[in-house]
Amino acid sequence: MKKATPYLLLVPALLFTVFVLVYPLVQNLINSFSDVSMITGRSGWTGFSNYKHVFHDTLFWRSFGNTSVYAVVGTVVALILGLGFALLLNLKLGKITTVMGCLYTVPWIISPVVAGFAWKWLLNDHFGVVNYWLASAGIVKAGTTWLGNPGTALICVMLARIWQFYPFAMVMFLAGLQSIPQEQYEAAAVDGATMVRRFFHITLPNLKTVTSVMLVLGVIWSFNDFNMVFVMTRGGPMNSSMVLPVLVREFSFVQFDLGKGSALSVVIFALLTTLSYLYLKVLARGEST
Amino acid sequence: MKKTLLSIVMIVLALLVLLPVLWTLSTSMKPLSEVNQYPPQWTSSAMSLKPYVDMFFYLPFLTYTLNSLIVACSSTVLTLLFGSLAAFAFSRFTFPGKQVFLLIFLLSQMLPGASVIIPLFQLLQKAELYDTYWGLILVHTAVLLPFVIWLLYGFFQTIPREIEDAALIDGCSRMMALRKIILPLALPGIGATALFSFLGSWNEFFFALILTSSDSTRTIPVGIGLFVGEYLDVWNQMAAAAILFSIPPLILFTLTRKTFIKGLVAGASK
Amino acid sequence: MKRTTFIALVLSISLLSCGKKSDGIVLHDWNFGGRPKLIEFLRQRVYSFEKTHPGIKVEQSDKSWNMIREILYADFSAGAGPDVMNTHSNFAAEFGEAGFYYPVNKFPDFEQVKQWYVPHLLESTRYKDNYYGLPSSAIAFVLCCNKELFDKEGIAPPKTWSQFREAAKRLTKDTDGDGVIDQFGLVLMGGDKGGFAYRMIPFFFKAGVNVMSEDLKKIEFNSPMGVAALKLIADMYQVDHSITPGFLAYTHSEVNDLFSGNKAAMSIEGPWFRGMVGDKNPGKDMYVVPVPVPDDMIAQYDTAPTLQDMVMYSINARSKHLNEAWELLKHLRNEEADMFWITQDLGATATTKSALNSREAKSIKDIPLYINELNHARPWPPHPQMIAIASNIYTPYCQKAIVGELSPKAALDQAAREAQDLVDGKK
Repeated sequence: MKKATPYLLLVPALLFTVFVLVYPLVQNLINSFSDVSMITGRSGWTGFSNYKHVFHDTLFWRSFGNTSVYAVVGTVVALILGLGFALLLNLKLGKITTVMGCLYTVPWIISPVVAGFAWKWLLNDHFGVVNYWLASAGIVKAGTTWLGNPGTALICVMLARIWQFYPFAMVMFLAGLQSIPQEQYEAAAVDGATMVRRFFHITLPNLKTVTSVMLVLGVIWSFNDFNMVFVMTRGGPMNSSMVLPVLVREFSFVQFDLGKGSALSVVIFALLTTLSYLYLKVLARGEST
Repeated sequence: MKKTLLSIVMIVLALLVLLPVLWTLSTSMKPLSEVNQYPPQWTSSAMSLKPYVDMFFYLPFLTYTLNSLIVACSSTVLTLLFGSLAAFAFSRFTFPGKQVFLLIFLLSQMLPGASVIIPLFQLLQKAELYDTYWGLILVHTAVLLPFVIWLLYGFFQTIPREIEDAALIDGCSRMMALRKIILPLALPGIGATALFSFLGSWNEFFFALILTSSDSTRTIPVGIGLFVGEYLDVWNQMAAAAILFSIPPLILFTLTRKTFIKGLVAGASK
Repeated sequence: MKRTTFIALVLSISLLSCGKKSDGIVLHDWNFGGRPKLIEFLRQRVYSFEKTHPGIKVEQSDKSWNMIREILYADFSAGAGPDVMNTHSNFAAEFGEAGFYYPVNKFPDFEQVKQWYVPHLLESTRYKDNYYGLPSSAIAFVLCCNKELFDKEGIAPPKTWSQFREAAKRLTKDTDGDGVIDQFGLVLMGGDKGGFAYRMIPFFFKAGVNVMSEDLKKIEFNSPMGVAALKLIADMYQVDHSITPGFLAYTHSEVNDLFSGNKAAMSIEGPWFRGMVGDKNPGKDMYVVPVPVPDDMIAQYDTAPTLQDMVMYSINARSKHLNEAWELLKHLRNEEADMFWITQDLGATATTKSALNSREAKSIKDIPLYINELNHARPWPPHPQMIAIASNIYTPYCQKAIVGELSPKAALDQAAREAQDLVDGKK
């Protein structure tokens, strides 16, 4: 009875996971090797042909590239921003720091749907505030299109994503900064080190674990992010901002090729599993230092 | 002097950061014909709170709010309940297969929503849970559980076993130790996790969109999307809805700010 | 204490989530899209139905038109879905083939009901030997011209392709002298894949191009005249710069804003446009004329076909209350209901003979034009893959040609190849 306790404690959570997550995954796996259409249902095995269709589809590679850029660049920039804000807040200027700290966290609390629409309005080519300011400053022509331009659409969605993600980094970095032992700074001051040297030789090394954890987490979460791209561009214009999660919907719900959509989601899952393996490795290394 | 300069910088940054929110606020108080103007105006001659009232007549937002509340609260309760049991098991027991189970929960966070949606949809249909509160609650709970377990696991790890062991020696059972000792100590962490879970369900769009179809179960994020119609986009009411929708999480966050941040950092560094 | 509150919470939630069991029949009616006026009308219509049919209750649900196909597919493939819904008439082929829609010709009184409608409009709901719905709102795609901008420039709405191109060029200008063009001749709706196809194909139709052969076996939109139609638009974009640059992201709301804000002079639209612009900008007037024809086809200006689109009301083949659904369907679509499409601006044209021939019809703005266009208009070919072809193949390739990534001929040829593969059943 005693030995069974941990297992019993796990049962409810496991049930949820199995029925609501493992079952669909298995179903997906089956579908990815079958000929499935929304209309006619499943009609037999097709081996690896769905996977072949995915890998032969230029749209897949384009989305993969887009998603990688979106995830990596987006996360890195968000981390840099977060660090910047954290350093600013760490100056501990009193009440203003508390108030500003709260305000800086707001983008994270806002729902992605709301954030997506708000940014869409700001970036509107004829009526948006961003264009108005940039045009008044002479940086761009009035009426420049951002979300309608295949060259800039993805960057705009990344901007919105960075806006939403940096507070998370900021909070984590702030906590990290506050846990750096003061003695290290004092010793460096005695040695006559400049602020810049102190930053690069004390601050950054101490934040290594936090940074690597957030980097991997941020990349994984971005890889799975459906809402932002969907609300802002639906993957357009002309698929220039298509990312993998939206592509799954495209294959399954728009092209109605469930087999292909399932194959793609298995591929994404494999990718993310590899990334999480990295995360665990990083975590382990962090704990051992 | 330096302090004033820095303060100004911080305020300017805050204004920049809040730009999208401020613009939404401005849009929410304009009449529809003045929403898209060039040059863009922060205020218009006819500002009012009318869109905040109109939105309840255009769409049944009161119902949507109730639905969102029910789903988010229930999901939070369930994830905390089952999550703390599982986290307790991972934190205080060693048993064969522990790593495997941990891995299962970790991996289930990696599933793209778009890939589970169809089997899930069909599963709910068969169980007659499609377009019901329970259907969405169960899905949200399942989606949020892995992360909740991970967070709670982290918090429980920060509570030294000695406290529990002392209680056990005094005659407490394992479960009593959980209830009377660990949970109260882990309260900040649980508060943080509760906020996370609530936010996760409150803001959730994708599953809510596909797994509900009638007004009586629809949640707010899906409702907001409905302001974009085939012929008319009622931007000002949509902005009003967006502002109202963001208020509960903002309030919750300011109330639990300290414990939330403390808890988040503790959990994530494990 | 905590435990009891928790149990109470769970119990109350379970009670709340239990539906009320009602006696009598409940029909589910899904309404996709529509302007506020139309929704208002439908509510009242349902209300009058419930009063005359005690024992039947109708639960209406409003949904987004933009996601209609996905929503219906998701629900149908899971064996769910409403009893009655409004839907695209070209779903008759797809959903008729899949057995999702009930063939209403099986109802005993169909022969009489059939008589209400203009024959070729009713034909839009047909696939093979069955009729899969009752026609509701008929749409013909036309050219809407911004009256204020046209009058200021002193030009009349164009009839031929050359006039069209010329008008767009003249109406593209820098109105405030800051060196930046802020008014454009034509706005296109590139952000909506389906909507874009519906606005491009009228040019093809007017030029006498078919999408497919009569027997639905061969793709034909890449004929020389088809290439010419696409080249017209591509040249306007790349050479004249008379098309709004951001068109790839535009949906109807951007089009509305630009047209109302006098930043766009022309748009290809349907019967909803005057009302839609009027909702946001009361009093904004426009010229509504047929889509232009190729220069050498000016003699056929009044008879060249445009794209016809139609909304129909259909019944879910798996409905448990087929007969009651049919009663509701008839009530929503009978001659009395149809008159509202004439007397009220519900965003489309009526479909019954009596409404279209009524005295009121002849006197309301644009209706004579729409009736004439509808007499010659053609729908998308009734092939089950037609919508997929239009949205996923035709649209992207046309857009590539317009922005200059491919030549019009290369784009249409490639599109035709892919579409043909789809038709032939290959992948």
